[in-house]
Amino acid sequence: MPAPGRATAEPATTPAHRGGVRRATRRLSRSTLVALDQLGAGLGTALLALVALLGVVLVGLACLLWVGRLLVPVALQVLRLAADRERARLGRYGPEIVGPGPVPTGLRAAAADPTTRRELGWLALHGTAGLLLSVVGLTLPLSVITDVTFPLWWYLLPPDDATPSLVPWTVQDWPTALAVVPFSLVWLVLTVGLSPVMARLQSRPGWRLLPPDPETDLSVRVAELTATRAAALDAHAVELRRIERSLHDGAQNRLVAVTVLVGAARRALARDPAAAADVLGRAQDAAEQALAELRTVVRSILPPVLADRGLEGSLAGLAAACPVPCRLEVDLDTGAGRCAASVEATAYFVVAEALTNIAKHSGARAAAVAVSRRADRLLVRVDDDGKGGADGAAGSGLAGIRRRAEAFDGRFALTSPPGGPTTIEVELPCGS
Amino acid sequence: MRIVIAEDDPLLREGLALLLRAEGLDVVAAVDGPDALLAAVDEHHPDVAIVDVRMPPTHTDEGIVAAVEARRRRPDLAVLVLSAYVEQAFATDLLTRGATRLGYLLKERVGRVEQFLDALHRVADGGTAIDPDVVAQLLTRNHPDSRLDRLSPRERDVLAVMAEGLGNAAIAERLVVSEGAVHKHIRSIFGKLDLAPTDRTDRRVAAVLHYLEDARRRV
Repeated sequence: MPAPGRATAEPATTPAHRGGVRRATRRLSRSTLVALDQLGAGLGTALLALVALLGVVLVGLACLLWVGRLLVPVALQVLRLAADRERARLGRYGPEIVGPGPVPTGLRAAAADPTTRRELGWLALHGTAGLLLSVVGLTLPLSVITDVTFPLWWYLLPPDDATPSLVPWTVQDWPTALAVVPFSLVWLVLTVGLSPVMARLQSRPGWRLLPPDPETDLSVRVAELTATRAAALDAHAVELRRIERSLHDGAQNRLVAVTVLVGAARRALARDPAAAADVLGRAQDAAEQALAELRTVVRSILPPVLADRGLEGSLAGLAAACPVPCRLEVDLDTGAGRCAASVEATAYFVVAEALTNIAKHSGARAAAVAVSRRADRLLVRVDDDGKGGADGAAGSGLAGIRRRAEAFDGRFALTSPPGGPTTIEVELPCGS
Repeated sequence: MRIVIAEDDPLLREGLALLLRAEGLDVVAAVDGPDALLAAVDEHHPDVAIVDVRMPPTHTDEGIVAAVEARRRRPDLAVLVLSAYVEQAFATDLLTRGATRLGYLLKERVGRVEQFLDALHRVADGGTAIDPDVVAQLLTRNHPDSRLDRLSPRERDVLAVMAEGLGNAAIAERLVVSEGAVHKHIRSIFGKLDLAPTDRTDRRVAAVLHYLEDARRRV
């Protein structure tokens, strides 16, 4: 608390003047304290930024050797973590900074993402100049304290080293030690005068680079939302069409066949009862088929198994039913609650569709399904060791998975080099 | 009567063939698609083709297209179209090409075997068989300033049954009235619809349907 001490050092004048001095003192001390608080918190984010910066540089160098590509997603996550900390810090002293959309998952997506570019710029500035500002800014008040308390501990210092900064002499005895104390006033003035400036300077790159790019970012976001909304409606229409088609081709035709056969049986009854019994038997078969078809259609709309056994249980059912041996790993943080029903249904259909594809086309000998929850995202990953070469554009099954994922504002990634293996990754916001 | 069936659902195709053969009718071919239908018509020279509207590859109107083409190749071929729904556009499309030797029925009518066989024979004999639901939809369509509004409810009933292709005696039986009363209603209908009365069954149905089609175009 250096500022009040300064006030008592002022000469006594008129009461009005005194009030003005007191107000000015209070204002100065407050702005200094706020600045020091900012610089202290800034030291934390700057250290984090430095670590992240080193990591990004290392991954960047490793990318030249290809293996670095595997680490790109991690580096991007760390970058986002550091930037989000800084957003939170800045949000405490000013308007809240709205965070950007999901972190890009690959090198190419990151290069195309303006947010990532801006975050990298901020990282470079804050991890270096920002860190320096924090260190210097926090050294100033520390120097005030060391100089004020210098007479109390100077004798503990080694004789050659007892030279506080700014002080032109080496302290050797009590008088020279006491003479250090007035230098704390110099430090005090520097602290009050410089720390707000330094705090502002340190925050500037964050304020400039971390909010969403005022024009491009939002318009891109709007375009993306518009597209996904259209995709949602499209997926909805496709889904309705699929239900209509399967009802028409399945249950309805079976039931028509039932009426035809029952009609034929009634006609045959008088002429040839034995033939009538045979026809009635066929009618019963057709009715049973109609029921089975109906059950399939109903299941495909919203599988009752999801409600009964939850996502994990219903995925276990899918994995068990898959003709290709399938390993299942489910890591859902049950403490965070279940995802929205529509999201669980989408995850279920994604896995169902992917496993169907694997069984039909891949020639794989083993498949693996991994579902996990990270904060408010549900991650679904399906791997197989088949022949690869799957095409997301051509295969209607894969296109369907992509549409379903995008309809939920999720992400879809497919890696399937010729010769395999194939990996499908889908990331969905949980919506809960 | 020589019959060709075109229906892509195997169970229904076999069921139809079974039913018709049990009635002593000659099912010369039962095929599963539009191309096979045309081939069978060329090969077997059937009297009647029973055609499903929705068939592969797109499951939209392949049956109608194939039926129209079959009729172009063999104008005396009777066609009985079976549909899962009342598909208004297809019905009117078919009917405007001439309502003789033509039927349009919902699939489930086949289970009412007597009525189905009746419709089949009527179509084969040069008449018309339009599903009551199709007729009802044509009649209840909301035409502004429609001359149909002039009809009494009873006359509408008569017109509906008449449009299915039934004769006066059958209409009387269906509506439980005397044949004389049916005659009277029909004369009144023709008067109100500005149509010259005639006793020929197919022509009056065609007239009714043309009138309906005309009303449809004006909307």
